[in-house]
Parts: sequence; structure tokens; C-alpha cells
Amino acid sequence: MRWVAGMLAGPVLWAVLFAAVYALHGIGCARGWTGVATPLGSLHIVAMAGVWLAGLALHVGILATAPMGPAREARLYRMGAWIGLVASALTLLPVLLTSTCG
Amino acid sequence: MMSDAKRSDATLPANPPQRALTLHRELTAVWTDLPGWRGALASVNHTTIGLRFMATAGVFFAIGGVLSMLIRAQLATPRGAFLDTALYNQIFTMHGSIMMFLFAIPMLEGLALWLLPKILGARDMAFPRLSALGYWCYLFGGTIILMSLLAGVAPDGGWFMYTPLSDKTYTPGINADVWLLGITFVEISAVAAAVEITITILRCRSAHMPLSRMPLMGWYMLGTSVMMLVGFPPLILGSILLEVERAFDWPFFDVARGGDPLLWQHLFWLFGHPEVYIIFLPAAGALSTIIPVMSRTTILGYGAVVAAVLGLVFLSFGLWVHHMFTVGIPHMALAFFSAASALVAVPTAVQVFAWIGTIWKGRPQLKLPMLYVLGFFLTFVMGGLTGVMLAIVPFNWQAHDTAFVTAHLHYVLIGGFVFPMMAALTYWMPLICGRARVPKLGEAAFWLILIGFHGTFFIMHLTGLLGMPRRIDVYPDNPEWVLPNLVSSIFSMVLAMGFALFVFDMGMQWFFGARSRRNPWQAPTLDWAMTLPAPAYNFASLPGPGRDDAAAAVMLARGEGILPGAPRGWRETLVVESGSGRPDHVAVLPGNTMLPLATAAVIGSFFMLMLAGAYWLTPVAIMAIVLVVWRWGAVMGSGRDHALVDAAPGLALPLHWQVRGTLAYSGAVATLVADGSLYACLLFGVGFLSVVAPGWPAPDSDLSGALPAVLVAVALGAMSMGSIAARLAEAGRATDLARRRALLGVIAGAVALAAMTGLALLLDDPTRHARDALRGVLLGFAVVHGVIAALLALRTHADARDGRMGASRRGAAPVWRLWQDFALATTAVSALLVAAQEVL
Repeated sequence: MRWVAGMLAGPVLWAVLFAAVYALHGIGCARGWTGVATPLGSLHIVAMAGVWLAGLALHVGILATAPMGPAREARLYRMGAWIGLVASALTLLPVLLTSTCG
Repeated sequence: MMSDAKRSDATLPANPPQRALTLHRELTAVWTDLPGWRGALASVNHTTIGLRFMATAGVFFAIGGVLSMLIRAQLATPRGAFLDTALYNQIFTMHGSIMMFLFAIPMLEGLALWLLPKILGARDMAFPRLSALGYWCYLFGGTIILMSLLAGVAPDGGWFMYTPLSDKTYTPGINADVWLLGITFVEISAVAAAVEITITILRCRSAHMPLSRMPLMGWYMLGTSVMMLVGFPPLILGSILLEVERAFDWPFFDVARGGDPLLWQHLFWLFGHPEVYIIFLPAAGALSTIIPVMSRTTILGYGAVVAAVLGLVFLSFGLWVHHMFTVGIPHMALAFFSAASALVAVPTAVQVFAWIGTIWKGRPQLKLPMLYVLGFFLTFVMGGLTGVMLAIVPFNWQAHDTAFVTAHLHYVLIGGFVFPMMAALTYWMPLICGRARVPKLGEAAFWLILIGFHGTFFIMHLTGLLGMPRRIDVYPDNPEWVLPNLVSSIFSMVLAMGFALFVFDMGMQWFFGARSRRNPWQAPTLDWAMTLPAPAYNFASLPGPGRDDAAAAVMLARGEGILPGAPRGWRETLVVESGSGRPDHVAVLPGNTMLPLATAAVIGSFFMLMLAGAYWLTPVAIMAIVLVVWRWGAVMGSGRDHALVDAAPGLALPLHWQVRGTLAYSGAVATLVADGSLYACLLFGVGFLSVVAPGWPAPDSDLSGALPAVLVAVALGAMSMGSIAARLAEAGRATDLARRRALLGVIAGAVALAAMTGLALLLDDPTRHARDALRGVLLGFAVVHGVIAALLALRTHADARDGRMGASRRGAAPVWRLWQDFALATTAVSALLVAAQEVL
């Protein structure tokens, strides 16, 4: 069953990241984090981007530890890891591209 | 052709062949329904219940279809006087609600219940009584909703029941209550089916059929059922909150008192968008089964299709806000959900290309199921493309709430569900009724449906782009909408004729068709490894390595598979380890009983009392529910140890009473997944209102003193004691200690409930502010779970007292422990949340 857990790990991580960044977005807008400056930019962007990038690193870790080989279980494991990575990269990319609370 | 299941390295010697007719008679005596009216009321067999689900869903489809004809008649002319506005509102609301909740979901449940044991190689679903309970809840709930239409008090706020339109101010009658209570009643059947389907797929496959080799239908249904476990609770929670607001004035959605109507939209669409894929996935499973057979080849890209299912299951939970693009959400949040909405097209496209590739590499035959498959391709792909258009925010803003959206959703739902389901019905009809179809009628029905559908809905895109809003009953000042509406109305009549002819064709096949030969499509899957029509027990002996496809029909009928016949007079099926399919134990399934009917009836009485506003009588109904459910446990378990069962040469397995990892335990885990989803949504509600809703911060609370803290500590301490008692009771099951430890659990539960009652008396007035109302709900959640935990402790006590626990028999203790831990964890989180609100 390890391959099932591995196959699910990427998409589950995406779900966690998506929920976390969406929650941070809502909290940040409500609490005025956009007006709080940090050396890397507004606290709002830094918080969301930090979580997102940390999550992407975890995704890469899942992918790097996925078993290689032609067995169907190994392939499903890798495909799950890719699904999570691509989904997190694309759906949360707006963190860097759009205005936050407007 | 080889089935995907037929590739296991394991071997299992065959049982000696027996006379097939003798086995058939022996099994029929055990598995068949009771004769006459008792059979109608007491059946729990998956074939009977599955067909009932599908037939009842078909009736609701016809009713919903008639309502749509009324809508089209009204809209055929700009000043239609066919319906008045109030009735029109009821009719379009009922059309949507019936099609979604009383047709589509029950139809897929019915297909799953009927098909899964057959295609996976089992004799029945994991929880036959739960199947029957689900059916009765569906029938009663659906009937309540339908009766409201005849009484003129049907829901009239649209099938997504937005607040504040549906609150007490703007819907003072019972119209919205009918929807909220009736749909929640029906959802019991959906959650029951989800638990049932999940556990059946994971644990009731044929021996040594690993998860990675099971038929694709198994993957699709597994994805569907997990989505149902996670996706339905938001709607159930939303319905409970809105009904409590309507009944008791707790202001979850009232802006003036800290609520927010957007909370309803979030909860509804957290269910509503995954719902689209809940409907689509089983249909896609049917396509992935039918297309290779009709193309005389194997599916192209099994692994890619499984990955696509995985992607859809997850991504579909990240799209819900695209139904709310126009409510004033910040750009960044819009962009998250827009990107996810566009991305979800990728796994869908992977499947479409896999199916096209399968047809390309095979030798396709244009038989009737294949015609419907082609109808699916044409229609669903167009619906998918307009879906991508709607995923783009600027376009969505223009097309929102117009007939364009109506056209899009019909392309997706009829293309993605109705066409595949018609392919499935025509494909499996010989297995259902044992008869071949009458030639040509089906083809005529198909063409009428295809032409009627596209004639109706293709032009509706244009009507929407011309600006016509949804749900209006007259349009006297918009001459540009007249012609497209008239065209839609005319073709909708053609569509209706097509569906009527389809039903007529099914009836002709059932009653007048020639007897079908076995496996008429030459399919490889196990569902065709049986006589036609399928017997009540499916397989005289169960499939295993070397006997795991349709070619094994004769061997299985002669008892060469696993667990031949019914020598002990019980309904037995094999339970496997979920990943590998290794045989684990033999489950003895319950036989015919009216308990599910009685349970649905008492649950129905609760909903009817709520609908009538007789809230003071509802405790009586709740007590009745507890008493009936107690009976479910009372007839489970065994008072003695049993010898191992010789399932096959060299394979001796224990009966389920003597193992820990039973189907019931797995089912409890699945139930807690749904329960956890509901709790997570409740936490989301607290967070959402705290952060987003106007009218916060809330007024000062009286909960900040020492007494509430003491009561919380007592409740949590008692629940912790309950968790310890559950572990000790299971550990001491072979001795008299189990009974005393279970009694300790009951007492601990009573102390916890007493402390929670004290807390309830200290709560701030829940009608004052949404925060106070949510605290009331959090406490209610804890109380309900505390009561159930105490009842499970009592059940364990009764099991120990009556000899249903022993050295290897655990009674209800494992499930009690599981539930107790969940109750403790959620109560602790709730306590921390309230404490954080007070401190921060």
C-alpha cells in the first residue's frame, strides 16, 4: 500500500497548500497585511509565497523519492507526484502575478 | 481480449468441480428475496436494491423531464401565460433539484450497487442493509419533495437555494424547509452509498486482484465514493445551518448579526462543483468499460486514466469559487480558482484521448451502446470547451447567470452523464433482464435524443450571449430572444420523444426480447461470468487467480472457485486486504430484513416533524431512531467461536466475527472521513465568518469565567477516560473485565454529557450573533458525538454480557474506540477554538 500513499501524497499536499494559501489570502486582506512591509515585500505576499515555495520544495522531494521502474505501481506513484507538483505550481502562481486584495 | 484484472502472480488451487445446478439451488435458497410483498420490503440484495435505485431514478428523471417541458412551453413565446411566476419558480427549482438529487446521484448509486459486486467478483456489497436503508431514505425523501409540488409549496428559490432569498424573511412558507430537510434526508442515502461503495471496492474484490489491476470501473467508482464522502458533508452542514436559522433564528447568514450569505454559497459550491465530477466519474467508468469492448481491444493507457481520475478527484475540490466569480472576490482569489478551473480540463482531456486512442487501435463496432458513446463525445467535449470559457474570469462576468450557463451545464450533464448512462443501460441490459433488444427502436431513440438535445441547447448558448438571464418566465421587451427560444422549445419536444422511445425500447427488451446468449458483447470482465439474468448470488464460487475473467464462467458455476455454494446456509463473501487483494477473511452478510425500512421510516418521522414545526416532538423521533438502530447492532456478532472456513484447497480463512479488521470497522473509518469533512467545514464556517463577515468582532461573551473552563476540563477528561476504557475493554475481551470496562465507558460518557449540558446553559444567546450561534453548533456536534460514543460503550457492554466477546471476538469495542477517539479529538479542537476566540 506504500505506492497508494505515495500516489496520494502529491495531490494531498496540493490540497493542503491550496487551502492554506487561500486562507492566508483571506486573513491577510482582513488584517491589512498588505500594508505591513518586510524586507522581501509586503507581509501578505511574503506569507503566501513562503508557504507556496516551501510546498513546492516538498513536492519536489516527493517526486525525487518516488520509485523508478516500469511497474504500474511505480508509475502511478510518479504520476501522482507530478499531478501535485503541476497543480500547486499553476494554481498558486497568481501569488506572484496579481494584486492581492483588490 | 484480456481483462486488466487477469494478471496476478498469485496462484490458488481449484476446488473440485460440482454439479452446477445443485450449487445454484443451494445458493438461491440462501440469497434470494422473500416471496411476495415481504420480498419488496425486506430485500437487501444488491441486485434488487441497485435496480430499484435505477428504476426510481428513472421515474424521477421522467418527472423532471415533464417539468422541463413545462418550462420550455412557457418560454416558447415572450409573454407565455402557461404558468404564473410563482409556479414557474417552483417548477424550475424542482426541475434542477430533481435532476441533480433525485435522478443523477441515485442513478449512479444504483449502477454502483448493482454492478460493483459483479465486476469485482463478490456476491454482494459490503453492507447490504445499508444499501436498503439508503434506498428507503431516498424514496421517502424524494416523495416528500415531490408531494410538496402537488401541494403547491415546493421549493422556489432555485436549486442552489441561495440566502437571503431562502431565509425566513423572503421565503416565509415551508418551501425552503422542504428542500433543506428533504434533500438532507436524501443525502443520508448518498453518504450511506459512499461508505458502501468505498469499502466494497477496497475489501470485496476477487482474491488476489490488486488495486493496481482492478477494472477501471473500480477506480472510477472509488474516486466517486471518496468524493461523495468528502463532498456531501458541506451541503449537509449548510442545510443544517440554514434550517436552524429558519427554525430557531440562529443568524449564520444574517449580515446584521455577524452572518454572511456568502457562507452558504461557499458551503453549497464546496459540494456543488465536486458534484459535477461525482456525476461524471461513474459515467466515465462506464465509458472506459464499454469502449474497449465495443472496439474489440483493451483500454489505452490504464495508468494514465487512473492518474486522470486521481487528478479529477482532487482538483474538483479547488474549483468551487468559479461559481461565485461575480460576488466581489479579490483578483488573486479569482485567479487561484480560474487557474484550477482551466487545469481540470487536462485530466478530462487525458481520458477523452485515451478513449479515442482505444477506438483508434481497435476494431470498433457501431452497436447501440457505441452510438451513445459517440453522442457523449460530441456533446461532452462541447460542454467541456464552454466550461473552459466560463473558467476565464472576464468571460464569466459577461455570461454569468445567463442562458449560456444553462446551455453549458446541460451539455456537461447530459453529455457527461445521460449519454454514457444510456450507453451503460443498453450495454448491461442483457445482464439485467436476460434478453436481447428489439432491433432498430434504440437507434431511432438515439437519433431523436441527439438531434433534440443539440437543437434545444446549442442555440441556447446564443440566447445567453444575447443577454437572456436564467430563470425568467417572460421577456416581452426582448424580441431578439423570441426565435432562439422558440427553436429550443420545438427541439425540446423532439428530445422528450426520444427519451420516451428509449424507455419504450427498454420495456420492449425486458418483456418481449428474445433470450440473450451469455456474454453477448464478448466482454472480458467478471460481470459477464454468470448466467443471464444475473442470479441473486452472482457467482456460485468466487473468482480468483486463473479464474478472474468472463471466460471462467463455467468453472465458477461448477464451484471450482473460492467458497463454493452455501454449505453453512449463510450469505458468505470473501474479504481481501485492500491493496494486494490477498484473502483476509470470510464475511457473513445479513439476510432479508425489514430493519432498514423501519429505520428509514423513523428517520423520516424526524424530518416530517421538523417540517411540520413540531420541534418539541422531535426527541420522541430521535429516541425511536436510537431504539431501531440499537436493533442493527443486536443482530450482529456471534456468541461462539467458529472453525476456519475452507475457502479453497490450502486456503482456510476465519469468519468475520473473529477478526479485527472487519468490513464494519472499515466502514466506520469511512464514516468518520465524512464526519471529519463535516467538522472541517464547520471550522471553515467559523474561520470564514470571523475573518470576512461584516458585523465582527462579536459582542463580549459570558463564557470567559472559570466555570466554563472547569466544565470543559471535566468533559474532556471524561472523554479521555472513555478512550482508555475502550482500549481496556478490547484488551480484556476474553474476561469479565470487558463488561466492567465498557460500563466505565458508559459512565464516563454520561459525565461528559452532563458537563456539556452545563456548558450549554452557560452559552451566550445563540440568536444574538453568528459567533454565539456557531458555538452552539460546535457544542451540539460534541454532544451528538458524545451520545453516540456512550451508546457504543453500552453496545460493547451488551456484547460482553451476552457472550459476543471472547478471545478472538471483539464485539463493538474496536468501533467504539475509533468513535470515542474522534469525539475526543474534535471536542478538544472545538474547545481550543473557543478559548482562542476569547483570548485573542
